[in-house]
Amino acid sequence: MRPIEFTALLVHLPIIALTAPQLACAQDPAQAPMTFFVTSEPIGDGGNLGGLAGADAHCRRLAQAAGEGERTWVAYLSTQARAGEPAVNARDRIGDGPWFAPVRRPDRPLVKSEIHGDTLVEAQRGSNMFKLYTVTEQGEIVNGIGDPLPARHDILTGTQPDGRAFPPGEDRTCNNWTSNDEGAAQVGHSDRVGHGNTSWNSSHATTGCSQEDLVSWGGVGLFYCFAVD
Amino acid sequence: MKRYALCLALLLPVFTALVGTPADLAYAQSPTMSFFVTSRPIGDGGNLGGLAGADAHCRILAEEVGAGDRTWRAYLSTQARPEQPAINARDRIGDGPWYNFRGEMIARNIAHLHGDTLELARVGNNMTKQSVLTERGQIVPGLGDFPDPGSRDWDYVQTTPYTNRHEVLTGSRPDGTAFPPDIDFTCDNWTSNADPETDLGPRNYGGEGRPNAQIGFTDRMGGGNGSWNSSHGTRGCSQHALVRTHGIGMLYCFAVD
Repeated sequence: MRPIEFTALLVHLPIIALTAPQLACAQDPAQAPMTFFVTSEPIGDGGNLGGLAGADAHCRRLAQAAGEGERTWVAYLSTQARAGEPAVNARDRIGDGPWFAPVRRPDRPLVKSEIHGDTLVEAQRGSNMFKLYTVTEQGEIVNGIGDPLPARHDILTGTQPDGRAFPPGEDRTCNNWTSNDEGAAQVGHSDRVGHGNTSWNSSHATTGCSQEDLVSWGGVGLFYCFAVD
Repeated sequence: MKRYALCLALLLPVFTALVGTPADLAYAQSPTMSFFVTSRPIGDGGNLGGLAGADAHCRILAEEVGAGDRTWRAYLSTQARPEQPAINARDRIGDGPWYNFRGEMIARNIAHLHGDTLELARVGNNMTKQSVLTERGQIVPGLGDFPDPGSRDWDYVQTTPYTNRHEVLTGSRPDGTAFPPDIDFTCDNWTSNADPETDLGPRNYGGEGRPNAQIGFTDRMGGGNGSWNSSHGTRGCSQHALVRTHGIGMLYCFAVD
């Protein structure tokens, strides 16, 4: 009977995931400040975020609503070089860190070199960037693979795995976050599942920049927000 | 027991949709299955009967689901001893590619599996909570699935199969090689179930008088890094000690052919 019992109990797992997603982290009395989150809602116009300024404003608005408006919030997004306009690298926008996810665990920092895998050992080992910490400013899990549909795990970044912009040419930023139609956006996965890799910031590109295009790939146009200070 | 049988009956359609054919019918793993995480441990902590015992455990579990015709190896390293060179887990498992229960590729080759270059390592392999399945197609309960205060107690865990058990024994460094010989990271090359004389508490892994095994995570969450093969050590080598950090002594198994 033992194998059947084991199987039957494992069957509960998806059900539990459907009804009660919750954080397992031990509660530490000394809480870290929240300096990182995933937007709980998209701007809603596909890859048109109103440029970097519009995206930053969205981060600020959501942070304010969560009582964290005192900090300088920026969106983790790159833009590609244009004539007379140099590229902007997402990693250069966000300050030096370390940052702390809304779970506020001081022993679980997001370290700049670790999240980007700056050395081979860092890249091989990984970082604290994983599903239980890549949560919204409200502390809610972002639905990913295995959770109730629709998945919202595609996170706009327009960025290469090292946190830098793509070279000019092929669009990976929905025309520097102004297009809701033509183009493509590079996305990462907040749950680090999908497309044959585990990248949080550069898993694959979308085909198209409309809101419908983003949804068809398993996202809604969420992005990562970091506090510079 | 009756309750579980009822649950199984009620949830059969859900189960079938999510993880394939139910266990009491036939296992319908992909014919390409060349990777799994063991659905159950040997059960004596870090004493696996050496690499041979661990390989046999992989083979037995594979045979139970009709996949015994391949050559199965446990993903484990051993450390150098006098007149006995180290063995690297990465050198034991063939060349790949490897596929899980559902026939999904989890890595193209050794370099992809371990992230041998910066480019490969940053993007990662396809070892995820959704793809690291047992030989029966099960997802391993991991961090946050069902928080349970009993999850660090073996007596409780072995009768409560949904508690977090995401740690897998590897004894390996992130690149899949063995540790240098000075500090034990392999429960004395997978022959020891000994613990430190006194429990040293969390994060005191390895060192003089500290039997210990390096582990990785099936769900890629925890330990400050989420490494699948080399996140941190254990509190000892007994079955009870493994459970204190949320492992039960499971192994990754790869087919070399």
